[in-house]
Amino acid sequence: MAGGSSHSIAKPIALGVLIALGYFIAVPLLSGGSGYVLNVVTTMAAVSFISFGVWLTFAIGRINLAQAGFALIGAYVTAISVAHLGLSFWVALPLSGLVAAIIGGLIGWPVLRLKGVYFAMITLCITEACRLTALSFPGITRGAQGMVDLPLPGDLSLFGLVIIPAFEKGARLPFFYLAGTLMMLGLLFMWLLDTSRVGAVFRSLRQNEDLASSLGINVAKYRVVAFMVACFYAGVGGGFFAALQQNVYPTSFQVIDSVYFMVYCFVGGLEFVIGPLIGALVMMTSFELLHEFQRYQTVIYSGLMILCILLMPNGILSVVRRRSSKAKGANNA
Amino acid sequence: MLAWNTGSIRRKLMLSVAAGVLTVSGYAQAEETLKLGALGVMSGPFAGWGGVMCQTFKSRAGMWNDDGGVKIGDKTYKIDVVCVDDKADPKGAQTGAEKLISDGIKYIQGPNTDSTAESAKTVMEANKAINMPYAFSKSLYTPPASQSILGMVASYQVGPIIYKWLMDNKGIKKIAFLCENNADPLNQRNEGSAAAKGLGLEVVSDQETYESGTTDFFPVLTKVIGTSPDHIVLSGVNPSDVGPLIKAARELGFTGTMSTETGQDPKAIYEVAGEAANGFIVAGGASTEEIRSDFMVKFIERYTKDWGEWNDVAGLFVYGPEIMVQTLQKAGPAALEDTEAFKAALDGFVGTNPFLKDGGELKYVGRKDYGQPRQVSVPIVVQAVKDGQYEPLFVGALND
Amino acid sequence: MTQVLLNALVVGTTYALIALGITIIFSIMKVVNFAHGQLYMIGGFVVYYFNVVFGLPFWFGLLMSFLIVGALGVVMELFLFRPVMLRVKREEVTMLLAMGTAVFLESLALIVFGEKQRGVPPIATGIFELFGARLPTGRVVVIFIAAALIIALMAFIGYTKTGRALRAMAQDREATALQGVNLKWLSAMGFGLGTGLAGLAGGLLVAIFAVHTGAGTAVSIKAFLMIMIGGAGVLSGAILGGFVLGVLESVGYALLPGSMTFLVIFLIVIGFLIVRPNGIMGKPWG
Repeated sequence: MAGGSSHSIAKPIALGVLIALGYFIAVPLLSGGSGYVLNVVTTMAAVSFISFGVWLTFAIGRINLAQAGFALIGAYVTAISVAHLGLSFWVALPLSGLVAAIIGGLIGWPVLRLKGVYFAMITLCITEACRLTALSFPGITRGAQGMVDLPLPGDLSLFGLVIIPAFEKGARLPFFYLAGTLMMLGLLFMWLLDTSRVGAVFRSLRQNEDLASSLGINVAKYRVVAFMVACFYAGVGGGFFAALQQNVYPTSFQVIDSVYFMVYCFVGGLEFVIGPLIGALVMMTSFELLHEFQRYQTVIYSGLMILCILLMPNGILSVVRRRSSKAKGANNA
Repeated sequence: MLAWNTGSIRRKLMLSVAAGVLTVSGYAQAEETLKLGALGVMSGPFAGWGGVMCQTFKSRAGMWNDDGGVKIGDKTYKIDVVCVDDKADPKGAQTGAEKLISDGIKYIQGPNTDSTAESAKTVMEANKAINMPYAFSKSLYTPPASQSILGMVASYQVGPIIYKWLMDNKGIKKIAFLCENNADPLNQRNEGSAAAKGLGLEVVSDQETYESGTTDFFPVLTKVIGTSPDHIVLSGVNPSDVGPLIKAARELGFTGTMSTETGQDPKAIYEVAGEAANGFIVAGGASTEEIRSDFMVKFIERYTKDWGEWNDVAGLFVYGPEIMVQTLQKAGPAALEDTEAFKAALDGFVGTNPFLKDGGELKYVGRKDYGQPRQVSVPIVVQAVKDGQYEPLFVGALND
Repeated sequence: MTQVLLNALVVGTTYALIALGITIIFSIMKVVNFAHGQLYMIGGFVVYYFNVVFGLPFWFGLLMSFLIVGALGVVMELFLFRPVMLRVKREEVTMLLAMGTAVFLESLALIVFGEKQRGVPPIATGIFELFGARLPTGRVVVIFIAAALIIALMAFIGYTKTGRALRAMAQDREATALQGVNLKWLSAMGFGLGTGLAGLAGGLLVAIFAVHTGAGTAVSIKAFLMIMIGGAGVLSGAILGGFVLGVLESVGYALLPGSMTFLVIFLIVIGFLIVRPNGIMGKPWG
């Protein structure tokens, strides 16, 4: 499942190092400090981080459209923590993930009994319900007025030693590095999970829950764990965006975001841990490149998306793998 | 521009055609291009806002360019408008703002909603770009924020004026508010309701909302009309919902008056609601036949030629580019490099309003509401729908 | 209260019509057509263009909305969904394809039709008063047409040869093929029938509501709610789901503060599905 996991771990690790080098060194150098490029890449990294969660729910055979809802929860937890409770952003960020995961666990336990389109649609309802809840309880969320002018992340120090300096107004690199770190950590954890025994259990859930259950696997427990991990990713990602945009509104994350998180997983390829990252990279880059077409931008963009599915219904990476395995076959012969 | 090798020929020519060259050189120098931006929602359910904004800007720029360009300092510039669709997504608004700024653009019209404007604000403030949002969140315009200028009349400013007029002229006593369950409309409703209470009106209903994309408004209107208001305010209503709302209210037997504080297209309302639309009160726009200037007529023709059909909301959006360019001309070339020069010019700026028959001034106001001049003095044109046209009720002005 | 019940009846009937099309496609193809709302929107514009722009009678526009949007559906099935379904490892891809189509149709419609909302002249004037409740004649006419369409469709599915073949295909594709039925054309036709109904619903409802290019997504989400309540893939469930949502919406708006109505509806639906995962009439899925 995870790009050649059975053969060796050398290849995936090399790939991971390559991505990290590309992100942390090549992009800042090549972009020449362009705020636009940095912002696109930052957004892309954070969005693919959130999409890893969707990917995990796909791995257990569920179409998850609730991710934007949990990202919204995370965004509000971060906003309330830093603005009202006076917590440090560095505490608020993991806390956002945790709160999202706990709420996800509570909702997920009963809801995960549903499958297929029912699960897809109920999660879509959850995203809508999150938006409406944020609007309906202004006492906590400030409702429609939104939470604005959130403070930038302060410094993170341990025993008097400053590990991360406070973010400065208008500086793009701190957010860029933070998003990249999240993305790499998220990817690493997904890969470890996928190649572990738990990952194998998850896959068996996707193929046949009844069979897994008959083998003595506590199906309900495993799928809730997977869902909670997914929600954790959403919560942290949402918290990140709250800090980046310095505001949260009930409309900050909507159904369309859930759809796009899913699209990134598909376009990259559902069978690859790195799929969401590739999907987000390809889709977001092409959207930006299509700005030239002005009012035809969205038509061309969605047209390309359809074409992409038509030509590569199993994702971009599936084509890459087919190519490479063909080449390998030719070498062996 | 032509490059002359011999200085003497050049001098001779300049002398001989001195007068004629003035216009020619003005034209030739207009090869310089000034890029301006529009950032807003241009796709999806709210495309009626940003899409029209972009088209308005492009049409107005086309008129300037046909006239040879815009003179700022010694140079004349062609205006090139770059539109970016933020998809009403705060992430998109941030990226879009960065994109425009990376193109060297310092002056931007939009965004169109609170959440996108707040997100774009972080980029605008950090990069010293000026933007002109159509969003009412006060933190955009109050210090320490300084880069955003409200491009229209805020609902909390025009609301009380309309309600007062209705009290004096139609004798309304009981008022109801209805809006979509979404951030911007809910805020406008809350502020409108507070203003109505301040005027001594009885607010009979201000908690009812409908979801975005509702097709049938009977259920929600049944409850609102059940409180027997004299007047119903549709706060921050999406252009696509106005007609169906008016129609449904009339079909349910509501006979009082109705109004909204955001710009709307009378033809579209009339097409959906028919006769029921007559008397609907709208603030905004300045293209009503009775009050518009010949220049506005020319602009309407241009817009119709460019985009196929006139939309009255364009009559509001066109104030943005107009005052932006007039201020740039006043602030001079320094403002093209640094928006501080632009901001310094805001306080004393007095321009001319080419869109009204009676002319009048274009200024920056908002000192009372925001503590600094960060709002365009769009005239408050309150008008009523009459058979697919507007007839003006009265024209008001914003406070300094 | 009479008004609330009448509202529920009108909303319910229109919703049932919307839910039927999406259910037909789901039952025969197992595709959740996320573009349903966009097809509904196009249907509305087709009627607008024939009726207002070209000045032809309303019923003709209505017929064209069914034919044009139905043809669009056939094209979608033949050139998009079929080739993809033949090659995918995960059937969820079709959902994604439908989402892509939805965005595509919506942005194309914005360019072609413009950003304004459109309506057609009333098909009937006057208002009925019923126990103090008001019911505009136009709505009565639309309700009767909608009801007639629903009955006609049920009769078509229940008693014609094609209808029986469609039902058979929904139950078991292979067995149906063994009976000598040409599945290729049947499934394209079924898809076209489903989208045609979306177009018809949009075309009919433009007479009492209005249409604009961004209207689709909200319609789709409501259609999902209905089929979840009623049970995916079951026609009677779709009709029931439409009415249940209509009642919930009308009664909710009457009793709750507006902003809570849909929050409560979503929570009810989530809770209901946990208790009854296949909706009221649905079959187990997957």
